[in-house]
Amino acid sequence: MLGMIVGRLGFMVLAGLLLISFLFALFHIIPGDPAVLLAGDNAPKVVVDAIRKAYGFDRPLHVQYFTYMGNVLTGDFGVSNYNRQPVLGIVITRVLNTAQLASLAMLFAVFVSLAFGSLSAMFWGNPLDKVVTVASLVGICLPVFVTGIAMIYFFGVYLEWLPIAGMATWSNYILPVVTLGAYQAAIFTRMVRSCMIDALGKDFIVTARAKGVPEIQIVFKHAMRNALLPIVTLFGLGFGHTLGGSVVIESIFNWPGLGRLMVESVQTRDLPIIQASIFFFAIIFITLNMIVDVLYTWIDPRISYD
Amino acid sequence: MTSKRTSLLIPAVLSGVFLSGMAFAQQATPQYGGQLVYAQSGEKFTLFMGRNTDQSAQDVWLNACETLVDMNEKNEITPLLARSWTVSADRKKVTFKLQEGVKFHDGTPFNAEAAAFVFNEAKEKKFLYISLLEGFEKATADSEYEMSFHLEAPFAALLPTLGYRPLCIFSPTAYKTKGEAGLATQIVGTGPFVHTKYVKGEYTLFERNKEYWQKGKPYLDSIKIIIVPDASTRTAMLERGEIDRTVQLGDLELARLERNKSINVRTVPSTRQFYVVLNHRIAPMNDPKFRIALNHAIDKAGIVESVFAGRGAALMKAPTMTDGVVAFTDMRQPGEDTIFPYNVAKAKALLKEAGYEVRDSDGFLKDSKGQRLRLKLWTPRGATKGDYQVAQLVQTFLTQLGIGVDLTVMESAAFSSAMNQGPEDAKYDMALLSWGIPTADPDQPMMYFTHTRAWKPVGANRMFFSDAEIDRIADLAHVEIDEAKRKEYVRQWMARLLVTAPVIYLPTLNLGLAGRTYLKGDQILAVDNYPAHFAWFDKAEMERQGVRR
Repeated sequence: MLGMIVGRLGFMVLAGLLLISFLFALFHIIPGDPAVLLAGDNAPKVVVDAIRKAYGFDRPLHVQYFTYMGNVLTGDFGVSNYNRQPVLGIVITRVLNTAQLASLAMLFAVFVSLAFGSLSAMFWGNPLDKVVTVASLVGICLPVFVTGIAMIYFFGVYLEWLPIAGMATWSNYILPVVTLGAYQAAIFTRMVRSCMIDALGKDFIVTARAKGVPEIQIVFKHAMRNALLPIVTLFGLGFGHTLGGSVVIESIFNWPGLGRLMVESVQTRDLPIIQASIFFFAIIFITLNMIVDVLYTWIDPRISYD
Repeated sequence: MTSKRTSLLIPAVLSGVFLSGMAFAQQATPQYGGQLVYAQSGEKFTLFMGRNTDQSAQDVWLNACETLVDMNEKNEITPLLARSWTVSADRKKVTFKLQEGVKFHDGTPFNAEAAAFVFNEAKEKKFLYISLLEGFEKATADSEYEMSFHLEAPFAALLPTLGYRPLCIFSPTAYKTKGEAGLATQIVGTGPFVHTKYVKGEYTLFERNKEYWQKGKPYLDSIKIIIVPDASTRTAMLERGEIDRTVQLGDLELARLERNKSINVRTVPSTRQFYVVLNHRIAPMNDPKFRIALNHAIDKAGIVESVFAGRGAALMKAPTMTDGVVAFTDMRQPGEDTIFPYNVAKAKALLKEAGYEVRDSDGFLKDSKGQRLRLKLWTPRGATKGDYQVAQLVQTFLTQLGIGVDLTVMESAAFSSAMNQGPEDAKYDMALLSWGIPTADPDQPMMYFTHTRAWKPVGANRMFFSDAEIDRIADLAHVEIDEAKRKEYVRQWMARLLVTAPVIYLPTLNLGLAGRTYLKGDQILAVDNYPAHFAWFDKAEMERQGVRR
């Protein structure tokens, strides 16, 4: 187990560095010159050249690459192309903001889906099951930018209960967390329901029922533990999607997160910020996968990485 | 010395009349206090004026950094850090008398030496705006409060250009100690507000400059400019009262906000006009008849109605120029609502004269050899409001004439790069762009848009258009400081454009500003600026609307 974790950590750093190199190459292949963007469409060549010189865009590519990679290895991700602030500080703040949003949304999604998915399975075929199934289907079909705007207008503008944008107080968290979480909850609920239906049909459940184990215990202890393996895999993937999906939510609710930063930086070709953002995104993804793998051994002791 | 009298304007400055915004706001007595929250759609690049010409940044700078002169809503040049100015007999030297006793926010004095330093440094380091200061040789500090501009040749657009926000005077001391990199996140000027905080992509905070040189101003305690990329969110925040004002809203959103009694919506014509670049190095676009035909083939009113809901844009009164530009003349023929009115029959007749007509039943336009006409049209999506939709309609109208049009949509940065090529490397036949005039002076389009010397990559003549008469008129207007004569040159230039039609002229964009009705004294300017540094809150009205700040 320890070997696996150390191996994964090593892989994580390597993957991050490879990604940065790949991005460096990619951003020099695709059209879009930061000096031209900064100078504006109508700027004369002499001005564009002056920017290249002032901002160091005119240095040979290999010099730019090796200097940058050398700095990254010492933990220095450079400064933003334009406002010259250290990238690490900007990106870390955004990573934390996005992580808060995604984690709370996931927590919401996990609780809602485990509760409603299990209930739906317990009452398979009953009206409650049908209501949950239809609700989750609607949840999957509605894109977050529609539910987001609808929530803003209903709770923010019409009822005036909750603030619309930013992350100033705890009440600012409710709308984005619920919007983002509800979408994932809809997906998870369907999975939890089918896994639970499957588990509840197993022989050991019949045995447990025959022994007189209370139904609640049968569902939430015996069946759930067995149904959990595919669900945990989905949670891991879902967390990744939540991080990705937060780009839209961050724009709608004006959440200062990593996704929004990346979109803005791609538009302005602010390469150092894009590289650091992708690096941290990759690290988060790989860490999540590692946590999921470790959780497998806890849920099902038959799984071993040794 | 010939003197340009500005003394009539000085009492106006002292009483603050010209700066206090909309007419209705001038009647009430300004009240002090409160924090203004203004939402912009995005933030680009840097806060350092030398390396940024983005419009949204200008609304940020103007709170803390002031220019020598200002341009008001009527396009009149008014004094700001310069009290008055005189022009030498040979028109190559302009001497400015500067405001006395003004201090930068870092405590250092504003004087002729400081102002001259900024312009000389701009030339030395090639700041972005230096290309607008055509023929600028050097600035000299003649005395403590007298600075002279030395020009290689007379330059008529000097004053409007000096009112362009990026040319504001920042503290040389701050620049020398912090460098460009330091000023990329910090504005140190003489303005009514002191820049106190900047969080990238989130907000910029300004607090009242207690030592501001215009006594009694500003009225607000602070201004917070926040970045909210989504237009629907900005609208909702304004409706809720989370923000006091915002810009860049959709035309349908503005129409809805107009029905809200707590919200004041204002629109003005901008100086930005859409156009389709035609690459004259490719036949038949080198033929003026063909180009004029294309101009008549587009239903401009249809574009205004369908893309801009009839309100986000307006028909063109002149080529490239708009109402908001100095020396503007309406160039429409009597009885016509736009230049190059929609007239398919005329377009077809002109195309026939140019050698193109529909020769068989397939409906395609062909030349005398039976060769079909196919053109590439490139467009960005979202670089300017409605650009992609306008390009689609241009494609439709040209297709109706029988021209094959291949429309390619490009990401903004990639488009920008593709459009920044010299004559040999330019790969486009046609491309949808817009031209804005940030200084509101016709010199820029005359010298950088249509002049032969301005072929990309030197200037912004992407058509590779060349017309001796156009160049001659532009050169004359460039040095003519007599307003009436200059206006006549500008009119002649526009008249010549109507005959040569270097591009397909398309509608002019309107600008929109939406704000809560308790906010008084803020402005909307045709150059896409929305100053609110001398705005104030009507506290009673604010209370009535349930907004606390």
